Amino acid sequence: MEHVRKVFKFISSMKTGLVVLVLIGLVSAIGSAVFPRTFFETLFFKLLLLLLLLNMFLCTVNRIRLTVRSLLAGPGRKVWYRNWGILLLHLGIVFILLGGMMYSAYGQNNRIHLAAGERVNMQRVLDIEHSFTLQLNEFRIEFNEDGSPSQYVSEVTILEEGQKVKQVAISVNHPLNYKGVKAYQYSFGFMINAEYVAEDGEEKSGSFVEGALLQPGGTERKVKIFKYIPNFNPAHGMNTVTLRPDNPRIIFSVYEGDKFLGVGAAAFNEPVEIDENVNVTFTGVEPYTVLEVKHDPGLPLVLAGGITLMLGVCLALLTAPGRKSNNDHR
Amino acid sequence: MGNIMTVIIYGVLFSYLLAGILYLGGNLKSKASFFKYALVLAVVGCVLHFALLVMRTLLTGMLPLTNGSEFLLTFAWVTVLIYLILSYRYEIQAAGGVVMLLSALMVFVLIALTGGSLHAVAPLMPALKSPWLTVHVITAAVAYSAFTVAAGLAVIQFFPVGHGIKEHHMNLLVKCGFALLSLSIVLGAIWAEQAWGRYWSWDPKETWALITWLIYAVYLHLYRNREWRGNNARWMVIIGFLLVMFTFFGVNYLLPGLHSYA
Repeated sequence: MEHVRKVFKFISSMKTGLVVLVLIGLVSAIGSAVFPRTFFETLFFKLLLLLLLLNMFLCTVNRIRLTVRSLLAGPGRKVWYRNWGILLLHLGIVFILLGGMMYSAYGQNNRIHLAAGERVNMQRVLDIEHSFTLQLNEFRIEFNEDGSPSQYVSEVTILEEGQKVKQVAISVNHPLNYKGVKAYQYSFGFMINAEYVAEDGEEKSGSFVEGALLQPGGTERKVKIFKYIPNFNPAHGMNTVTLRPDNPRIIFSVYEGDKFLGVGAAAFNEPVEIDENVNVTFTGVEPYTVLEVKHDPGLPLVLAGGITLMLGVCLALLTAPGRKSNNDHR
Repeated sequence: MGNIMTVIIYGVLFSYLLAGILYLGGNLKSKASFFKYALVLAVVGCVLHFALLVMRTLLTGMLPLTNGSEFLLTFAWVTVLIYLILSYRYEIQAAGGVVMLLSALMVFVLIALTGGSLHAVAPLMPALKSPWLTVHVITAAVAYSAFTVAAGLAVIQFFPVGHGIKEHHMNLLVKCGFALLSLSIVLGAIWAEQAWGRYWSWDPKETWALITWLIYAVYLHLYRNREWRGNNARWMVIIGFLLVMFTFFGVNYLLPGLHSYA
């Protein structure tokens, strides 16, 4: 029993808490420099956070006792604010750490690619109880006058059992929040439409990803679709001037066997001669959206923790200036 | 307006620099008149600096908080403002030299980074279009400023002329800075959750802001328990300030991450 008490006292002491804080600071600095991608996922770091959580939880319980006692003693208003402020501040951090742990344990995220008209059943990308389907109606990029992007918007319809429930626009800073699932505008891309006569003599038209290889009929040559450039300017090389499609080009390269023959920048609907009487025509591009989808049962707790922390910090600050600090000094 | 702004920013730099030198001279020669002229110069610089902020706001239609240069401009101004307000109420003019020279240094770095041209206007990228931008960045700027003035008080307390400065004034500044940094980090996390779907991603800015927050948290606990006062407390405030500087300059300009807007 004595041992348990000692361990309890050790874990809940402020000294331990401060040592853990310093340790977290030190290893974060070193870890982020040496292993920027992986360090914060390691068991070692998570154990450190767990130790902090334990320490702060116990220290907060202690503080609740003290705060209630000071409340009963009926001190000045400033002390009252300050004690409550400090208590809330600590409680907020405990909530945040708990919520973060819930995310590591039960949180899920995934990314979905959708072109206009495509749909996805959320249960196929996230392990969730409530089933619903997301359908992309349109993905568009809105532009500023100078051609820089001003907003990325995915217009989606939510369907349940085949029935339309509602229509929502997901854009940067405006995620979808539906039945515990959040969807964020994460990224986008383009599929490239091309037409050519295939080996079997049939007219072929399709949408291709960047990097796709076309094999037209009547020649040994192959066409590699390299990249879509919305606003092409040779002076900028392979980089687009702006994202706005002011001068769209498809960059392609031609091969015979393994031999590289050349590279070109084709305008839309302008047939490109690959070999004698063999043409490939790029007819346009089709944008697709990339949405980050997330299910995080710890999020409300983290948010509550953040608000509690901010409230606590403001309350504690209200008491900071003035005579109280003079007394402190003496 | 661009040319006028360039002239004004050099005027601000000159005022702060001269004010800082006069404050230091006042410390060495203990001449009251030096402090008087230094104060006048600091106030003139501060007013000119405010005019710059207003012009920048009129130019872009947004508060000057949307990129690294604007942040630096606001940060340096709030630093001087906090110093002037505090020096009106308390006897802290011994620290005036350090604070004004630090502010001059920030303005100098700003000129070096932008070439003195403050009239470039670029539209906001989609991720920055959020009502959280203003509160997140303002709280960070005021927190950084409070830490800077606190560091100025800490440095001068190592010298005989700084002995008149009361330790709890430094502590008060750290407390305010800590509270505002806490708000800034939480507000930033709420915003990041909306914009990117993650409230915390351990990107360099977040990591170093947390490290800064941790050192001031440790300082506040130790100070409150009367364990570390005097030189130890001063060193912690100075190290905290260096971390603030690294979180701003190091992360913005050296380490790539989500916060690379400058």
